[in-house]
Amino acid sequence: MREEIREAVTVLANRYVMKWKSGGGRIVGYPCSYMPVEVIAAAGMLPFRLRAMEVVSTSIGSSYYGPVVCSFPKCILQIAGERKYAFLDGAVVCNGCDTMRRLDDCWRKANDDMPGILPSYFAHFAVPHKVTDYSVKWFAGEIRKLIDSLEKHFSVTVSDDKLKMAIAEYNRSRTLLGDLDAMRSGPDAFLSGTDAMAIFIAGTAMPAADFNALLEDVLGGLKKKKDALPGRRLLLVGSVIDDIDLFKTIEEAGAVIVADTVCFGSKDRTDLVREDGDPVAALAERYLGSVKCPRMFGDYKRRFAFLKELAEKTGAEGVILQNIRFCDLHGSENGIFERDLEAAGIPCLRMEREYGPLGDEGRVRMRIDALLERIGAGGGGSRRALSADRSR
Amino acid sequence: MRNELTEYNYDWRFWSILDNASKLFDATEKEFTSTMAYTPSFRATTGKLSTTGKAGHRLVKATARYFENILTARSRGKKIGLITYNFSPAVLFAFDVVPYCLEGMSAFYAAAWNRGIYESLDYCCEVGFTETSCSGQRVALGPVLAGLAERPDFIVCSTPGVCDSNANAFAFASAYLDVPFCQLNYPPTLTDERAVEYHRADFRNMLSFLEEQTGKKVDVDKMREVCEEIIKQDEIICEIQDYQRLVPCPVPGIFNLFIYDIKVLFSGIKDGTDILEAMLEIVKDNAERGVAGDGVERLRGFFYYIDHYCIQMKYWRWLEKNGISHIGTMMTDFWQANAPYARGREEEGYRMDLSSLDSMIDSLAAQSSRMPMVKQIRGPYDAPHMWLDDTVGVANLMKADFLAFMGTMGCRNTWSMVKLITRDMEKLGYPALILYADSFDNRIEPVDTFLGKIDEFLRVRDIRGWKGAVWK
Amino acid sequence: MIVAGCDIGSLTAKAVIFKDGEMISSHLMKVRSRPDEAAVEVMNEALSKVNLALKDVAYSVGTGYGRKRIPFADETFSEIVCHGKGAHWVLPSVRTVIDVGGQDAKAIRLDAGGSVVKYEYNDKCASGTGRFLEIMADALEIELEEMGDLSLQSDAPVRISSQCVVFAETEVISLVNGGKEIRDVVSGLHKAMAGRIASLVRGIGMLEKEVMMAGGVAKNKGIRSAMEEVLGVELAEVKCDPQLNGAIGAALLAGEAAGKK
Repeated sequence: MREEIREAVTVLANRYVMKWKSGGGRIVGYPCSYMPVEVIAAAGMLPFRLRAMEVVSTSIGSSYYGPVVCSFPKCILQIAGERKYAFLDGAVVCNGCDTMRRLDDCWRKANDDMPGILPSYFAHFAVPHKVTDYSVKWFAGEIRKLIDSLEKHFSVTVSDDKLKMAIAEYNRSRTLLGDLDAMRSGPDAFLSGTDAMAIFIAGTAMPAADFNALLEDVLGGLKKKKDALPGRRLLLVGSVIDDIDLFKTIEEAGAVIVADTVCFGSKDRTDLVREDGDPVAALAERYLGSVKCPRMFGDYKRRFAFLKELAEKTGAEGVILQNIRFCDLHGSENGIFERDLEAAGIPCLRMEREYGPLGDEGRVRMRIDALLERIGAGGGGSRRALSADRSR
Repeated sequence: MRNELTEYNYDWRFWSILDNASKLFDATEKEFTSTMAYTPSFRATTGKLSTTGKAGHRLVKATARYFENILTARSRGKKIGLITYNFSPAVLFAFDVVPYCLEGMSAFYAAAWNRGIYESLDYCCEVGFTETSCSGQRVALGPVLAGLAERPDFIVCSTPGVCDSNANAFAFASAYLDVPFCQLNYPPTLTDERAVEYHRADFRNMLSFLEEQTGKKVDVDKMREVCEEIIKQDEIICEIQDYQRLVPCPVPGIFNLFIYDIKVLFSGIKDGTDILEAMLEIVKDNAERGVAGDGVERLRGFFYYIDHYCIQMKYWRWLEKNGISHIGTMMTDFWQANAPYARGREEEGYRMDLSSLDSMIDSLAAQSSRMPMVKQIRGPYDAPHMWLDDTVGVANLMKADFLAFMGTMGCRNTWSMVKLITRDMEKLGYPALILYADSFDNRIEPVDTFLGKIDEFLRVRDIRGWKGAVWK
Repeated sequence: MIVAGCDIGSLTAKAVIFKDGEMISSHLMKVRSRPDEAAVEVMNEALSKVNLALKDVAYSVGTGYGRKRIPFADETFSEIVCHGKGAHWVLPSVRTVIDVGGQDAKAIRLDAGGSVVKYEYNDKCASGTGRFLEIMADALEIELEEMGDLSLQSDAPVRISSQCVVFAETEVISLVNGGKEIRDVVSGLHKAMAGRIASLVRGIGMLEKEVMMAGGVAKNKGIRSAMEEVLGVELAEVKCDPQLNGAIGAALLAGEAAGKK
């Protein structure tokens, strides 16, 4: 793994962030896949996806959040409280889920006690939970509201042309990420899931132009490689992960993560935004319609179809269904995924974890080993893999 | 699940309890007490309801009918719609659909029936639902998933955008049972033009879903009928809540539960109006005599989220025994524009306009978007019209001596902001206590423990010279 | 006049005897299965040290988890009131009391007169309690009492990310299996636990000095130093065993009640 990628994955204030800041650039943080980053980019700022891998304790996070909630937003608040997000000029919190949307309330209130931890620009951005003509229209209105407030606060102009340029730039990333994704999910996958994930994560922490250049370079180098990686082909599904050590632990056990559907990963990163017509409407359609998250209630069938197709396409031999504790959206969807995937002959492992640097490696490893043993033994009576053309 | 629990369906079993209990209320006192000796499991609950006179009797009878409607729906060729308690069933009545309110069932099961509910809670987890999810749905969802209750024909859920835990339970049920699902989804604001437009479009979208599911068109006359009943009910509720401001409070604590029961089970039908009329009579009588609804008033408590239902309504009985007037919860405020707490904030409330079908639909959409929780916890807690505004408003209006929060361990939304609002209320001078009790799952914190915490709080903070609770 | 305070916690039982406002005896022991028996035993032990018997006690107050099962208590009070009273007696300048017991943790703010202004309990979780350390000591196969000294020897504490006891236990086992030094793991555990307790202290508002730690966990030097680090204050040193604080408060309340009789 290249040093600049590793750094972007493990260090919040990475070299790209520092360079952007030293050039007088502004940075706006956001926590969720539903954020149309093109809006921030078109305002001339760097969209930075909020993470908290440097977290050591949650003493600040737990002072504002209650006990029985997901650790991810709690850890982001912790990092903000420790002033490690001092490089942010703004943050937009969106209602991806209830705990995440309360980052708005908690961060603001924590700022009363620790003045200065809140970026000067701070906005709440709402995303509907269904896709209909009126919800897409409403969402487009919400995007316009966000544009207005960015323009007003930072005295910038976000023209349609600038939006279109940003869309084209991010679409370029999406196309390149699609190519990258194919290298780890194809029948002769030679790119490890860990390396692929690192690149996907890095893309959320640097300017799109830098990322595209880096991606092109990485892809050029990868095309020369040929040897397929050994290991059982697994799919990783569920709650947000930005910890490549978790990927590494799984792969070191004798697996290759050939695809994932986790935030920061590939699931929502390759669908293009339409480049014709009204750019705001195009963003609204794409973000509301393409992002796959159980927060979109009543849409299980579509997500299961996507997952099943992904398993078939990648010849996955098993699926890891994980969720951060207290994430019931993924946790309960995993319950039905397990029922339906097992019925289709795909062995599954359900696992709960906490957000943060991988501490309970032993516990994770033990469960992965058990899944791999089961696959090795023929999946406990299930079919080994969905795809008929794969024989391992 | 233990075999003995699978012998009868949960909803059938509960209907039989209620049906028998409702007959008991017509019995002589001797008959009543002798029969009670044979019903140890739900004696205290039945006893509690029997003390509320005509209102309680009517509530039990109406609830028995509510269950009977569900149990006989198939044979009468009617559809069953599974709904949440944040959804007004009035529109289903207008479509002649039988509503099946999940949390209403959960509260009844938890209140009346010590045995059985833990296994139904856990059954959900056995089939893949998370153990960290909300107990409010799980108590009654377990039997539905297990096939030990009537199977719904479709699901209408009105909490997306308001409460993930709630919405997710219904989405899970829909995926697990493969039953059609419709959601009413709410933006984080309430009164601005975009929000109003969204409410109306979304409500009409749901009407199309109901038309599709029932094969019927919206019936203007039926719609008018339920709307007229809603107006009658709302007027009485507002009057009762106005009386609730008096010191001592002439409204028995349990009437708070009745108010939201009526709004979530009997909205728009005569059963609800009848109960309310009986309640108003009792309240007026208490007010005229200058007595508290529960005897003596020592303190006034505002429960700024929800109530507690387990172990035969012990919480309600304890409040009553200790002279703590229950002056409301988030669940009791439905935001009629003429409600006492809406004075000066009328634009946040809803009005029923019966002049045309369109105006009726818009009124129902407005009512829907102001249901408890749907109104208060959809946006930042301290944004206009939200939780803080409403808590401050009611605490002031109802002259609260203290505030207490209890909910469920599955409530991501309130657990992510309750420390903030509690701090704010303390700063405003209201002693406010966060409890770790779960309203539907007594295993989380046993009822005596959390009541002990309330007692300790009142004593340590020296609220109106509290000298300790009566326990026996 | 002889009065007594008895604190029956989830893990230990404590009794304190006062004579005319002075503490003359105390006893501390582990609670076995029956809290009522533990109460009688611990009280008899404390009394026998000064050649007294239960009949000599004019008034006694019970507190702690098992307070309702103390057969001889004339009255019971919550731990909050007792810890507040006890702390004020032990050190009148105390304004913040952090009590970490076996089953729960609490932060209490006192005014100059020793009255409780505000208090907060830990979340419904064992992560910030004595029980947490006990489970971890078991997992590490060391004695609970060793933990404090061990952790102070650490110069490279590990990071414990899990907030949940169950997760933390497996995390600890993984760390040890992965070759981490026990002292570094223990130090990491102390830091994690101090973080949990610190969020409780923030819950009662501004941290006012003096800050005193009470309860069994207060005897753990590692936790004390981690608490000082995370809160940025020095914890007050007190003359009495901090684990007796609740029982002392109970005895003081007994004295007040007896005086009124």
